[in-house]
Formats: sequence, structure tokens, C-alpha cells
Amino acid sequence: MAEQLLVVDDEPNMLRLLKTILMDKTGYEVATTNNPLEVAKMLQDKPYDLVVTDLKMPLVDGMDLIEIIKKIDPLIPIIIITAYGTMETAEEAVQKGAYDFITKPFRKETILITIKRALEWKKMQKELAALKKQ
Amino acid sequence: MLFRFLRRFLKEEIDEPARLRLKFQHFRRLLENNAKALETMADMEEKLSGDFLFDRVYLQTQAERLGDSVSQIVAELNLLTANRYPELRAICQKIKEEIGRELTAAASIPETAYVLPLSSLTRETAASVGAKMANLGEMGNRLHLPVPAGFAITASAYKRFLEASGLEGELAQRLAQARIDDLESLEAVSREIQALVRQAPLPPDLEAALAEAGKAFQGRPLAVRSSAVGEDTEFSFAGQFATLLNVDAQELPAHYKEIVASKFTSRAIFYWKYQNFSAEELPMAVGCLALVPARASGVMFSLDPHAAESNTVLISAVWGLGKYAVDGAVSPDLYRVSREPGLEITSQRVAEKPVALVPRPEGGTREAALDLDQATSPCLSPEQIQHLAAIALKLEKHFGHPQDIEWALDESGAIYLLQSRPLRVAVPSFAAGERESTWEPVPPLLRFGIRAVGGAAAGRVFLYTRDEDVANIPPGAVVVARQPAAKLVLVMDRINAILTEVGSPTDHMSILAREFRVPTLVEVGGATRVLHPGQVVTVDADAARVYPGLVSELLEHRPRPDEDVRSNPIFQKLARILKKATPLNLLDPESPEFEASRCRTFHDITRFAHEKSMDAMFALDAGQSLEPRGCSRLRTGLPLNLFILDLGGGLKVSGQAWVTEDDIISRPFKALLRGFHHPQVTWAGQLAPDLKGFISVFANTMYDMGKAEKGLGGKSFAVITDNYLNFNSRLGYHFAILDAYVSENKDDNYISFQFKGGAAGVERRERRARLLSEILDDLGFKVQVTGDMVRARMVKYSLLETEQTLELVGLLSAFARQLDLALSSEAVVARCFQAFKEADYSLSFLRPAVSEQ
Repeated sequence: MAEQLLVVDDEPNMLRLLKTILMDKTGYEVATTNNPLEVAKMLQDKPYDLVVTDLKMPLVDGMDLIEIIKKIDPLIPIIIITAYGTMETAEEAVQKGAYDFITKPFRKETILITIKRALEWKKMQKELAALKKQ
Repeated sequence: MLFRFLRRFLKEEIDEPARLRLKFQHFRRLLENNAKALETMADMEEKLSGDFLFDRVYLQTQAERLGDSVSQIVAELNLLTANRYPELRAICQKIKEEIGRELTAAASIPETAYVLPLSSLTRETAASVGAKMANLGEMGNRLHLPVPAGFAITASAYKRFLEASGLEGELAQRLAQARIDDLESLEAVSREIQALVRQAPLPPDLEAALAEAGKAFQGRPLAVRSSAVGEDTEFSFAGQFATLLNVDAQELPAHYKEIVASKFTSRAIFYWKYQNFSAEELPMAVGCLALVPARASGVMFSLDPHAAESNTVLISAVWGLGKYAVDGAVSPDLYRVSREPGLEITSQRVAEKPVALVPRPEGGTREAALDLDQATSPCLSPEQIQHLAAIALKLEKHFGHPQDIEWALDESGAIYLLQSRPLRVAVPSFAAGERESTWEPVPPLLRFGIRAVGGAAAGRVFLYTRDEDVANIPPGAVVVARQPAAKLVLVMDRINAILTEVGSPTDHMSILAREFRVPTLVEVGGATRVLHPGQVVTVDADAARVYPGLVSELLEHRPRPDEDVRSNPIFQKLARILKKATPLNLLDPESPEFEASRCRTFHDITRFAHEKSMDAMFALDAGQSLEPRGCSRLRTGLPLNLFILDLGGGLKVSGQAWVTEDDIISRPFKALLRGFHHPQVTWAGQLAPDLKGFISVFANTMYDMGKAEKGLGGKSFAVITDNYLNFNSRLGYHFAILDAYVSENKDDNYISFQFKGGAAGVERRERRARLLSEILDDLGFKVQVTGDMVRARMVKYSLLETEQTLELVGLLSAFARQLDLALSSEAVVARCFQAFKEADYSLSFLRPAVSEQ
């Protein structure tokens, strides 16, 4: 079963590039939206394995999204994309529960490796939770 | 300003060293900005490789940074030369404005008629009619495949509609005022705006054009659907645009407005809320096709996207109209057809399809229940299946990429194509282990490993056991090693694949291999035992398989994905900006064309200003009124045309036109010259005759010998004090700056070294930059490589250490000059790197004929 990724970025060009790269020979299924307001609904309608989101967006920024997403699915890894020079905010995002952040501009491989690690982390978290239950 | 003021009123009082120091301040600021500008350009060029993601903000930031640096350069040059090149300001400003326009430019809507018949469309018309209709036109008119009759209502019509109806202004205003704080309020605004669009009147000329186009379809039902212009709309706001099936041509104006209204989804509203709404940006075209009263319809993929290696066409089919196949309302029949000649049907799954979507006589559609017999029969005959598969392959071949195709079959059994678009083929997971599918062209030698770099390649096995082996790896080898070896970077440009028994996709070697796009598998247990040196194998890194011999099926179909990225508007914007910034037209300072007025790009300005600033600094220009006091030339056996400016305590003598190396006191300068004089260094000028023969072997070189030789005699400049050195040299296209301070106080000491340039293509220049950086890194520098620019810095080393390092930098510069001549091949670079690391600075291996004698 292919992993389902949700990508949120208010800039349609960036969204399309991300989708192209994340689907290119990766086997991931990628859904996108430029509208952070509908992220909660999308997550409720269908389970996703990971969310990639821009940090700086109008109305609902990545920081707000972390909270919204964590409420719906506390285990879902969130990868934040930040602009160059906003390191502090990125660190804050990680403190709030984002799995990791990457800084624009970045190499394609960087995001692929980050996603792969995040998915592995999620798998481990799940296994851990299962073990604890036993 | 202060400087000029002082000069005017206190001319006599200013002592010469103080005047020179002021001048030198401008010079240094110019150099700093020059380095900054070159670095920014290198950074932007690197982004064009397609390996990076960046956004509009990046483009804006970098373009501004570049513009600022170049403006500074122009300002400093004019301060340095008493305003000798005022025209540069205007040129710089003009380039800045042009780049600014590129940054904000939206794709403009081509001027066309409001309605264009399908028979006149080809893929080149996508900007007017959207990709969907343009492709359909291409299929009908160029490939002569069956498509329904129809026409497109163009982007130009959309613009006319929005402008003439006052909608453009109205929407902009509504969007600005709208209060949006959650999904509900956003959807409310979306509904409101859609209603506005439906109610807006069409301008009479557009209404007339639609009526005229509709006439030809009187009594024939139409399918009306969006055909978004620019993939972004299609992509980001996709799937939500309306499609109207079985509608009357007479009501076309209302249907047209309905489709345009559907563009204003909540996603689109969210986008426009924070952008200035414009009819020019993300326009919408509409396609109108004669409705095919379909007995059956469906979707097909020219290549099964989830099992690309199975090499089959995948066809789905339902009864009735295709909507049920597209949205999955009914589970369809599935047919797989081999793509091999003969188009054998390899599997078919006939589903139970209890209902079908059919046209209603009064318009619109309804769901019809089917009797069990029809529900359980296949929608397609074997001939129809094969016919469809043949069409799919034809489309893939024509468009150069696997296709996702919508088709319909009318009552007579004739096939119609309704849409074809690129299909994204998902080959197995990045860094995943084995894939689920077990398709293997021949029994593999090895069937495990982790994909570090995807792709397939073939070659002869080379067993790599020790780092010393690296020099013996033949071109085209499949390198098999126990452990990952970063050292392989030296040959990555010429090997075909890498297999290691241990390792990880994230280790250093894998990262390098990815940069060079060398298919790489790690964790291939037993590889060194199973594979024999010299054996020809094919590595399929995607599937983690190694096959004996050449497997052409694997080596053939490797779609290059970059095309998709490169067609993105943001990439194209970058490319257009770079065209205005980076081409270098002013090459030869000796040429009469080397004039301020001939600068056409930022790069030209930096090149020109750098040259002229050195002339001004050292007062070498005859027309310059400033007297060349304090500037001397070095009499030396080195093939250097070296000018020295002593700001205090750097030379034993003063006011002399020529000095010797014995006259030099400056500690950093002396150290650098010691490096230049290393006994093993053979200066490039003396090497050239031998190398000419060597270089001629490489037919494809872009290297310009004439330019390079001219560069050998080029000027170098040193500004010195007892503890300080600023050394500038330009060699052909290359450019290096060394800035150093050496004293007893460790905390003050530093060396800063910058190197950029080369006549070769960007890729090759970047490789060289990386090799230089490895050497500098080895010497203890903190190194930063941006594109083809290397910046290295070392601080707070002791006097002795700093001096020794400077000596090595001198050695490296001399060494690099020889490299420049030989750089026509990566292989030579690799060997040079090896040589430097082994303290063999003679580069004697570059002259095999000589050394054998």
C-alpha cells in the first residue's frame, strides 16, 4: 500500500513542484492543497501518513496547522518547509511537535530523505505503542 | 563623499598613504561586492540544475541581492575613478528593471478569436485553449486519431468576459473585503462569487461568437468542460471544475458561465484572497465537444503506473458514459495488454457493473440499471481492446511520456478519444528494498540490496578493495565494493553503477553518487563473491536486481523526469532572469569592445568593473590623471605580470617602478611567493606546449586555448603592508582573490581565498570547484562551494601556521593554473587531485611522452 502524503503550500507553483518531486519514482501518493483551511477536513475524510507544510501562509500558518493536525492525529509526522533565515521559528515548530523542518531552497534529495526518516519514525512509534499495550 | 571633499579642499594636506588607503577602501568594497555578486549568480545557476526546490521569494531575494551588489560595484568603481563610468549606472538600473519585470510578469493571454474550432488546434495552442483541448486537437489533427467534433472557447474570451462585464473589478473588490476565518466562510465567499459570475452579462460580441459556434451543433448534444490554461490551475485546483454532459448548444452562454463560475472554488478563492485578482492570471478556457452517446467508455494508461516493469497497457471500461469510470462509481472491467508487438491481452477481469450513466432525452444524465446479463459481460471485444492499446502506445510515443487517456465507444462500436494527458509513473520507493512485483527479464545474479540512487546501467565489474584502486577503475565500470567509499567521487563521472555490500542510502558516497546520477545499490550482501572482475552485468537499482549480461529492456525506458520540473513557471522565471544576469559578453580586456557601454548583463558589469578597478587602483590606465605613485612592478622569474601597491611597510623601497623579490618585507606576500617558487611546480606557461598535444585528444572540450594562453600573461595585483596581503589574479575566465593578515597576534590572523570561473559548462565547473574545495578543506580551511565558486576562510591560526598555509595556497594557485590547462577531462582533474594530496606538484603524468624519455 502506497504511503499517502498531504502537501500544503499556498503557492501553487511550489505545490506542483513538490508533488512532481514527491511522486517521481517514490511510490508515494500525494494529495495537495493551497488552502490550509481545509486541511482538517482532508485529514478527517481520509487518513494520511505524513504532512508536508509550508510555514508561512496567510490566515493559518504552519505553526497553527501543527496544532490542528496533532489534535486529529497525534502520531502523524509533520515536516515544515521554512524560508531561509527563519531558523528560530522552525525550531519553535519542532518544539510544537513537527517532526523536522527543511529550509528553502533545498535539494530534492533532502526532502526525500527527511520524509523517509519520518515515515520510519512513525512506524517505530506505532510498533512501540503496540508493544506497550501488550 | 568625504574623500572627495577632503581632496578638493585639503589636497595638499592629504598625505599619500592616507589617499591610497582611502582608495583601497573603495577597491576592497568593490571586491567584496564582486564576490557577493558572483556568488549569488553561481547560487542561482546551480538552482537551474533541476535538483533544487525554490520559490518566488527565493528569486526575489536573490535578484535583489544581486542587483544591490552590482549597484555597489558600480558606485565604488565610480568613486575609485572619479566618476569615469557614469553610463554603468543606467545600464545597471536597466538590467535591474528588466529583471524586476520578469519577476512580476504573469504569462500573458495570447490574442485569439473567442472561439477556435477543434480542427484548428495543436499542442502549440495550449496557452489559448488549455492543455486539454490543445492535446485533443493534436490527436485529431496531427495523429489523425478519432476525436469528437467540437470547439474551444479561448482564454481570450475569458478575459473579455471578465473585463467587459465588470467582473474583474467586482471580484477584486469582493475578495479584498471578504472576511475569511474558516472553511465555512471561505466556502460562502466561493458560492457568492460563483453566483456573481453566473449572473454577469456576456458582452454582445462574445455572446454572438458563442451563438455562431453553437449553430453547427444544433440538435446535437454537447459535453462542455473546463480546459484550464497553465497546468497550475489544473493541478492545484483540480477535479473541482464542472463538466456538463448532454447540454443544448442553444444554451451555450449559460453553460459557458457555469464552467467559468466553477473555476472559483474555495481553493481558488483562498489563492486570490491574498493575490491581486487579475483576469490575466490563471485564465480558463472551455472545451465544447459533440457528446459521444457512449455504449461503453473508460480510461487507459499506456503503461501500468504501479507495475511499470510489467510493460503492459492498462484499460478500464464501464457501460455508458465515462464519468463512472473516472470517479470510480462503478468498479470497471480491467484489461491488461502487453506492450510487445502482437499486443497480447495478458489478463482481463470482467467486473459486475450493475448501473450505467446515460444521457436523458431532455438533457443531462441519469443512472440506468442494467440487466444481469449485460452487467456481467465484458464491455470490450478482444479486437477493441487491442485497438485501444495500439492507440495508447501511439499517443505515448507521440507525446514522449506515458499517457492517461479517456476514451468512449459509440453504438456502432467506433472509438473516440476524449482526453490524453501525461501519466505519472510511480516506480518503487526511494530507498526501499525489494519491490513487490517479481518481473525479471532473466534470472538475476543478485536480488537484494537497498536503492541509494535509482536507475539502471550496465558495465564490466570492477572489484574495488583498496582506495589505491581508484586510479585503475576503467570508464564504464560497475564498481563493486565491500564498503562505501567516498573516494569513488574521483571517478563518478565515468563509472556506470556502484554496488556495495554494506552502506546506507544516506551515507556520503550515496549522496555523491546521487549528484552524479550513478545508479547505486547498497547492502548487496555477497556482491564481491558472486560477481567476478570483468564480467558484464546490468544493475537495476530501482528493483535491487543485478542481471548477467546486457538487459536492454531495462536500459531503454528511463524517462527523464526533469522535463516536468523544468517546465514549471518558477523555473522558467529563473531561466529568464539568469539570461539577463549571467551571460558574459565582455571577455577580452584588450579588445576595443571592452567598454562600459557594451555591458549587457550583470556579469559583464562585474567583469568590467573588476578589470577597471584594478587599473584604477594601480593607476595603470594612461588616461588616468592620478599619478602612479606607490605602484611598482615585480621583476621575477615567475610568468607573472605582477603589480604591487604598498600601503605601508610592505616594501624596503618606495617610489620605484620596478622592485625585486628581495625588496619585499610583507610577511604574507613573501609566504605566498615561496609557494609559487616551490621547486616541483612547473608553471603553466612552460607546460603548455606539451599539453597542447594532450588536450587535442579531447575533441569535445569547450576549452578555448587561445584565451587561456592569453590569460597566462594576464595581470596580477598585490596590495600589501608589512602584515597584510590582498592578491588578485585573473586568468582567462578564472578569477581568484586572496586576502590575508599575518601577525604575532593569533586572533588577528586570517586567510580568505576565493576562486571562480572556467570556460567549461556549468556542470564541469562545479565539479572542479568541489575538487578545489576538497583540497582547501584538507589544508584546514572552512570551505563553502556555491555553484562554481569556492570561498575558503581560515582564522586565528598562529603566525607560523598561517604563513605555512599561505605558502600552500601559493602552491595550490600555481598548481591550479596547470589544472586549468588540463581541465578538459574529469579524469585529469581526478588525477590532479590525487597528485596534490600525494604532494606531487609536478603534474608530470600529464606529459606521458616526456616522462617516458
